[in-house]
Formats: sequence, structure tokens, C-alpha cells
Amino acid sequence: MSGDCILCGKCLEVCPLLRATGREELGPRAKADLCRLLSEDPNLLSETDVAKLAGLCLGCGRCREVCSQGVDVSALVAVLRGAHPDFKAWLWKTWLIHAKKLWSPGSAAAKLIPEQFHSEKLGPMLKMLAGLKGKSGLEPCLEVTFFPDTYRGKKMLLFAGCTANFVQTRWLMTALKLLDGLGVEVLPGDFKCCGSGLKAAGFADESESMAAHNVQVWRDAGCPPVVTFCASCRAGLQGYDGCFESVKEQEKWQNTLLSLSGILLDAFFVLSDNVPETLAYHQPCHARGDDTDYALLNAALKNRMVGATGRQCCGFGGVMRLAAPGLTDPVNQQCWDALAEADVVITGCSACVTQLAATAPDSVKVGHWLELIK
Amino acid sequence: MSKYAPSLTQAHQAFLSNLFPDDGCVLSPEGLAAFSADASGERAMPWAVVRPETREQVQELLKWADAEHMPIYGRARGTGRVGSAVPSLGGVVVSMLRMNRILDVNEDDFVAVVQPGVVTADLQAASAAKQLFYPPDPASVKISTIGGNIATCAGGLKAVKYGVTRDWVLGIEAVLPGGRVLHMGGRSHKDVVGLDLKRLFAGSNGTLGLFTELTVKLIPLPEASASVLVGFSDLASSMEGAKAVFRAGVLPAACEFMDGPTIQAIRMGDDIPLADSADAALLLMVDGTQKGVDAEVRRMVAALDSVHPVSVEVGSGLEAEALWDVRRSISPSSFRIKPDKMAEDISVPRGSVGQAVAAAHDIGREHGLQVLCFGHLGDGNIHVSIMHDGSVQSEVDSAHLAKDAVFRMALSLGGTISGEHGTGLTKASFVNEQLSVDELQLMADIRHVFDPNGIMNPGKGL
Repeated sequence: MSGDCILCGKCLEVCPLLRATGREELGPRAKADLCRLLSEDPNLLSETDVAKLAGLCLGCGRCREVCSQGVDVSALVAVLRGAHPDFKAWLWKTWLIHAKKLWSPGSAAAKLIPEQFHSEKLGPMLKMLAGLKGKSGLEPCLEVTFFPDTYRGKKMLLFAGCTANFVQTRWLMTALKLLDGLGVEVLPGDFKCCGSGLKAAGFADESESMAAHNVQVWRDAGCPPVVTFCASCRAGLQGYDGCFESVKEQEKWQNTLLSLSGILLDAFFVLSDNVPETLAYHQPCHARGDDTDYALLNAALKNRMVGATGRQCCGFGGVMRLAAPGLTDPVNQQCWDALAEADVVITGCSACVTQLAATAPDSVKVGHWLELIK
Repeated sequence: MSKYAPSLTQAHQAFLSNLFPDDGCVLSPEGLAAFSADASGERAMPWAVVRPETREQVQELLKWADAEHMPIYGRARGTGRVGSAVPSLGGVVVSMLRMNRILDVNEDDFVAVVQPGVVTADLQAASAAKQLFYPPDPASVKISTIGGNIATCAGGLKAVKYGVTRDWVLGIEAVLPGGRVLHMGGRSHKDVVGLDLKRLFAGSNGTLGLFTELTVKLIPLPEASASVLVGFSDLASSMEGAKAVFRAGVLPAACEFMDGPTIQAIRMGDDIPLADSADAALLLMVDGTQKGVDAEVRRMVAALDSVHPVSVEVGSGLEAEALWDVRRSISPSSFRIKPDKMAEDISVPRGSVGQAVAAAHDIGREHGLQVLCFGHLGDGNIHVSIMHDGSVQSEVDSAHLAKDAVFRMALSLGGTISGEHGTGLTKASFVNEQLSVDELQLMADIRHVFDPNGIMNPGKGL
């Protein structure tokens, strides 16, 4: 994964961490190069120190997209993290594995913790937990007046993701309502977490077990299309490897993954009078390329959006949020700088929603685009 | 005994940590490793890395370094191809990435004032937002910085019409060894008073001082552009095609060339909008007003018709992007032939390009290696990629011999061993074959005036 890096530096253009910190050693090229140095001469550097430095990665995957040599720095980092877990990674693992048990009560509990107990590092995390649950900050302002017949009568699975299943159940309800409008028959399917957060944090065994379970749910349902409305979940599902019976089955899995916004592109929407004056879209790192969320919203909102991020990451960063909040903060700030004109920010990724909601200026509301749907 | 400090003492470390607090000073081996190499693959570990945020910090640093005889290596994004940013003699790397503010983009003076760590594409975008244009565009424009571009006098695709980076520098503020601040030039587009020191600094590769503020010239942003990809049955026809375009009175903004082996490498993995019979190609771009661009495209296509191209594709907007994707795919495509390459960038008089390309192919055959030639035909600057397998020693040896032969061929045609990459470490040993003893001595004397202790980017050819 690292041997092919030719040090060209193309990845330097897209790394949000490098841009926000001005620290070249945090860029993807440096990480790939560190891994190579370590493999070529194990005595040159301490593997633990290398893992600690290279582990400071947001896992956004932007560098992989632009690499002409196919180097996957996020995957390299995951391997290093897996070989050198520490308690912060353990905490992240515990949080994700026990999402069902922890997230909702954790969210309620976080609200009760007095501010003076919020340590500098844990404060933003607690604020994020507190923001996970609760009423929508956004007022619905979009109504669907016409659903196309393209998918009427089709059977599909809905992969809602941990946030919608355990905390933001209103997203799940709205998604089901939209699928009903499209005439889709939603099949029952007991999916687990997509596993992408764990994979990036270096817990390969646990994430592979989740992947195998989710693929089996899909098989048992007769391999129907799988609809998602979280960009990070979808990227996680697309990245499944090693849990398929054949290459053909893997290709079929890839082709069955649909975005909810993608199958709504031919629907008609009307706007109510309460459409926010200044509304902006945050493009998740994992929604780059064919971003149907943006296409749908741009069309439905009749170009009412005042701005959109493209190169800025929200700074969520998975396990890095726990390990090095001081480094994710400037990344987050650059994102808010780009969204400065907006009173309302919408996005299509559960991690981005939680991170942006936790860090938003007081006057700015943040939500998933599903919250705009009446 | 070396004239330089033999190592970084604890006192040195304390000084640097104090001047560059928090994460502004890197001393850990894993942190330093990121600054040990550049895109050339050459490598040497620095003893420390510092990240100045103010000119005053740079002054203090260079005052100290001069007194301690500490080697100093300016660095931005490390995208150079010849090892100029590699700390080959140990010492302190100065990362300029935190001096990255665009201070002014001025529509009245037609200038931009920036700090050296600004990414060049960001400067171009900030200029374009005010309908202004900073034309130099090295292939690394999205990842390299204006400071690095000026330090190396970066070239690029549009040099044929707009010149190289040096031609756009109006003013430089630099800190010299010892801490003295030198202001050269300014916001005036014309200035003939005294020797043109700022042009001396452009392309000096960090050997004279460290930039802290740069003023560059801007022009109105062209409203339109169009591109033409032309296929030819052989090398000679493509050269005639380029001549026909220039003879017709058209000065293209870009005039790129690809030889047969390059086209074959692209075809191994990508579709290419060229006729199957094409064994050489030109990619041309014109820019200006919409009417002017339309007229120039018509004139170009008519002129090309006289040399019987095998295919002509015209595009603007997204269609043009598809044509330029072909150009951008050359470098990654080349690795389909062999896993390693020596990428040289000779430049010869424009009329000798055909001869140079044919000679490069002959050299490849003589050494049993595939040689790809492509690049900036418009200014005679051809990238010669000598493909080989770095794990096979005999191929590495042959590649080195082929490289030397390519350099000698360029010189024999009245050209240069480097049109834009520079000489750094990888070509250092060949510089004295191009420059005379007198030239080399004068250059060494000039450097000595600015840097009497030789601390600025030592260990390179120039």
C-alpha cells in the first residue's frame, strides 16, 4: 500500500489536515513515506513513534482519490493503528461497538455533566454527544409533490446507519416515508454498524465481522438494492472486501448500493415560505465524486443555497477526534470559515452533522437534509 | 574539517525551541523524516525543522545560523524534481508553509503581494475572483507554492506565451544570512535602476536568502480559451505542424508535444481522442477574447491542414478538460512501461526539437531502454523519461549512461540540461559540462557576497 508512493505530492492538494495545520509531516505523502522508511530499515525509526505520528489522520480518503499510484494512506494508517492501539482507540471502539446501548443514554448523560467538568480535550466530545439527540434544529420546508414510478414495486433494503437507528430516528422515519412515496417495498434487515469507523481506527477483525454480517443480511434478502442516506456509511459499505463468495458477488454488492437522494432525483418538490434565507451545503469527504445529495438539494431548493464546501473537511476524523482534538479544531475552523455566510447548514453524513452541530456558532443551525423534508 | 557545524547541540536545540515554540520546531526523528526527501526521491535527514510565522523569526534564525555556520534549507511543499530541497549536509530545514497569507490582490496596480507559502493555484483563484490572471502554471500548480516557484523559477505549460515565473516577479523581500532584510523591486511594472537583484533571486534555489514577501505582476483574466489535440502519422509531421501554427501568426498559450511511445503508454490504459494511426501529437491552447479565440482556432486548424494531420479534435470548457486529461495522464501512464524512470527536462532551440527527440529515441535503443519524449514544444523544453526497472542493476546502470548521453546531446544542439527542473543534487555533477569555468567562478563569487559562510542550501551543484 505504501511501496508505490513516488513522492510526487499530488495528495498535498487535498489533505485538509495539512492545509489547516501547515505541518508537512501530517500530510499523506509523509505518512506513506514514513511507512516505507519503517519497512526498509526497522532500526531507523521507532515503530511506536511512527504509528503515533502517522495515526494523526482524519481518514477522509481524499488522498486516495488523487493518487496516480493507488496508494491508500487511510488503510496504511489503519494498519498502524491496529498494531498500536491505545486507550483512546479503545474508547472509540467501545463507543461504536456498543452504539445501541451507549449513544442514546450517553447523549442524555452528556447534557447533565456540568460544564466545569468538561476537560479541554473531552469538552467538544461531550458537546457532540449532547448534540446527537434532541429535536431537529431545522424547520421542514420542502414537500414532495410528485414521486416518479421508476422504483415503484421494487424491493429494497434500507441501511440507516447507527445515528439514525439509535439517536436520530426522525431521519429514519423521513427516509421510510420517502421510500413509501416512491412505492419501494422496504424489506426487513437487521444490519449492524457499517464498520468503517472501526476499520479506520485499526480494528480490522471487528469491522470485518460487521461487514460479513451485513453482506449476509443482504444475501438472505435475495441481494436487493440497498438504500443509504449517510455518505460515510455508504463509503464504508462500498469498501467491503474479503467477505464475498466471488468477485462477481462483490461487483453485484457495489452495484446495489443506492443513495436515497439519487433515487429521488426525478421527484418534484415545492418550497414553503419558511425556507432559510441563507442556507449552505457541506459536502462530506465521503460524498465526493457523484454527490447526489448536492444535486438533489440544488435542484429542490431552486438554487437558494448561498454556498457549499468542497475542499473543507468538518474535522470529525473518527478516532483522531479523541486522540488529538487540537489538530482537528483548525480543520473544523476552516470548514466554518467557508460556511461563514450561512444561517443553516445541511449535509448528508451523520458524522458531519454531529461534528458541525457541536461546533456551530450559536446563530447557525445544522442538520441532515432529511430534516428539511415535510 | 567541514566548515559547517558538525551537529545540533543541546544549546542549538534550546535556541530553536525557544524561537519557534510549541509545534513550530520539530526535533523527533519521525517528524524530521517528512522533510528528508522531495519529489526526486533523494534523501538526507535534517537535524531540525522550524516553521516561521513572521519575518522577525526568519531574521533571528539567519542571524544565529550565520554565527553558528549552520546549514539552512528553505522548503515549502517539496515538489521539486532534482533534490534542491533535500538537506544533504544536515542542518536546519525552514518550512515556509505557515507564511501562507495572500496580502493583497490589487486591481488598480495589477499586482499581488503574497507570503512565500501560498499555494500558486490559490493565488490564481484569488486573482481570478477579481478578473485578474497570474499565468505561470507549472504542472505542480495546485500543490506547489509561489515561494518555491520563484526560488526555482518554475516553468510550465504556458511559458511559450507568458514566459516563466521570473518574468512575473516585481518585488522580493528576502532575509539574508546574518539577518539583514533586503527589499528588491516593488509594485512598479518597470524598473531599470541598478542591477536587477530580484531576477537574480528568482531561480537561486534558496542559495542567497529566504523569501518573506513576494510581489508578482497580474494581467486581465482571459475571457475564453480553446484547445486543439492534433494527431500526426510521424514525428516529422508533428514538428511541421507546430511550425505551421506559428507561421500562421498564432502564438498559442500552450504548445505541448507527445511522441509515439508516450501515446502508446497512454493507450495501454486509457482512451485517447486521437486517430489510431497517430504516432505523434500536438496539444495546443489559445486564450483571449471569445471572438479572438474563435478566430485563432480557425486559423490554426487551417494552417494545420497543410501538413495533413491524421486527426484534429477541438474543445473548450469540459471538452478541453478531456483533451488536457490526456496530457495529465502521461506521467502515471509512463509507469505502465517500467516501474521507474529518470525524468530529465532538456531544452533545445525550438527548431532542433525534432532532432533532439529522434536522438533521444536512438539513445534509448542503444542502451536497451524505452525513452518517452513529451513536453513544452513551444519553448523547446522536452521531458525525456528514461524508463527502467530500479531493481535490476544493469538497467539502472544503462539508465544513468543514457541520461548522460541525453545531456550531451542537448548541449551539442546548443541547449541546456534543464529547462525548468533545475540541477539540485541529481544533475549537480553535470553542471560543469554546460557552464564555463569563468561562469562557475562568477556565480560562486556572487553567492559569497550574499552568503559569505555558505550556509544557504549547501551541497548542491549551484
